[in-house]
Amino acid sequence: MLWLWILIGVVVLLLVVLVYGYNRLVRLRQEVNTGWANIDVQLQRRTDLIPNLVETVRGYAAHERETFDEVTRARTALQQAGTPAAAAVADAGLTAALGRLFAVAEAYPELKASKNFLELQEELTDTEDKISAARRYYNATVMALNTAIQSFPWLLVAGPFGFKAREFFSAEGDTAPPEVSFAA
Amino acid sequence: MTLQEQIRSNRLRSTIVIFGFALLLGVVGGLIGVIFNLSLGIVALVGAGLYAIFAILSSRRMVAGMTRAQEIGPDDLKPLRRVVENVSIAAGLPVTPDVRIVDDPAPNAFAAGLRPQTSYLGVTTGLLRTMPKRELEAVLGHEVSHVRNRDTYLMTMATIFAGVIALIADIGFRMLIFGGGGRGRRGGGALIAILAVVGLILAPYAAMLLRMSLSRRREFLADAGSAEILNDPEAMALALRRLQEDTTTIKYADAAVAHLWVESPTSRVESERGGVNFLSGLFDTHPPLDRRIAALEEAGGFRLPAELPADEPFATELGLT
Repeated sequence: MLWLWILIGVVVLLLVVLVYGYNRLVRLRQEVNTGWANIDVQLQRRTDLIPNLVETVRGYAAHERETFDEVTRARTALQQAGTPAAAAVADAGLTAALGRLFAVAEAYPELKASKNFLELQEELTDTEDKISAARRYYNATVMALNTAIQSFPWLLVAGPFGFKAREFFSAEGDTAPPEVSFAA
Repeated sequence: MTLQEQIRSNRLRSTIVIFGFALLLGVVGGLIGVIFNLSLGIVALVGAGLYAIFAILSSRRMVAGMTRAQEIGPDDLKPLRRVVENVSIAAGLPVTPDVRIVDDPAPNAFAAGLRPQTSYLGVTTGLLRTMPKRELEAVLGHEVSHVRNRDTYLMTMATIFAGVIALIADIGFRMLIFGGGGRGRRGGGALIAILAVVGLILAPYAAMLLRMSLSRRREFLADAGSAEILNDPEAMALALRRLQEDTTTIKYADAAVAHLWVESPTSRVESERGGVNFLSGLFDTHPPLDRRIAALEEAGGFRLPAELPADEPFATELGLT
């Protein structure tokens, strides 16, 4: 009789852990999705600004074909990137290509004085800032999810229910962001 | 503890606090009932409840009034809005809070609002004129943390309840002095009446202590939150050091909203600047800046330089003079 009660107790305990763990993982996964949506919005905004920028620069510096093509290619690569890590690499590529475009623009004083160009440049800088802000949040949520999935006892729940570790948005592979912990 | 778990524990704590205050309110009402008569106690309680509901509904405007924070036009101070936007994105807030400006030379900032969706940040012109961008971001990160952690909700509730308790205890006390009340009407009730009077005097202090102790721990958490959001604990520590070196205090410091600011706005200089007076420390809304800086230094593994960096204040970028 006692054994039966112990058995029931163990089963109930397992059920509680299961339900709590499942809900916790769902919540963490949802946060990761929100974090990714935040990055996606900014990446989208960035790719939307590029055609305008290329057209503006072309108006003043028509023969810099190669630089334009490079920027356009980098933009397409970003649009086609399927995973966070690939998007991060493509985004870094776009930043590099834009850097060259702005370097080219230095040689055209009229372009540099154009109001349209200055506004686009400011918008792009702002988007870059926002991407890095969104990345900080996203990477923190990924870290929380991945830690939960790999730690006991949640890993017992994660496996059967198909919770998978997620990729960081990082061009240098899966590097975890430095953690700041406080004991205040 | 992840952010969401921290938020949930904060919500639970809010519920407990609200019940705690309700209990305290019940005690005060009961005391009035004992000293005077039962129906007066009930009237006091119902009145207090109505007042609390009214205060909660109008808290957004009340805080703006008490801090003298002005709304700004949609095209004004764009760089400042941008900074707030970036900090909010990094914090994972669902919406970017509005920014309001307090025209005051003292550098300070606060967050207000019951929900993240209706929250706003108040920033003094003094803060913009004192802080370079990096440190301004840290201060805004601190305020955004308050919004994200639902501290603003908890503290608004705590303030309202503490105010209500103080109000009816005060009314009860005045009636006692000027009205004479029903003391001695019941034989042998003298001792109970004396105890009740003592309770009536102590209740507001209990409420205040509760509010203060809640507030102080949250400051450490928000400092840590800012360091985490921006991944730059040194910026927060530098900002706090700059606040410490500045000696101006807010002109219209309303004690009721003292806990909302990043630095205590009142002029209790000694304790705020690292003094160890236990009794005065008990009623502080903020831990001493030295301790907050030390906590950041320890967590971030750095030491602040003796000299603050002489960077351009953010006001230059905004075109403020």
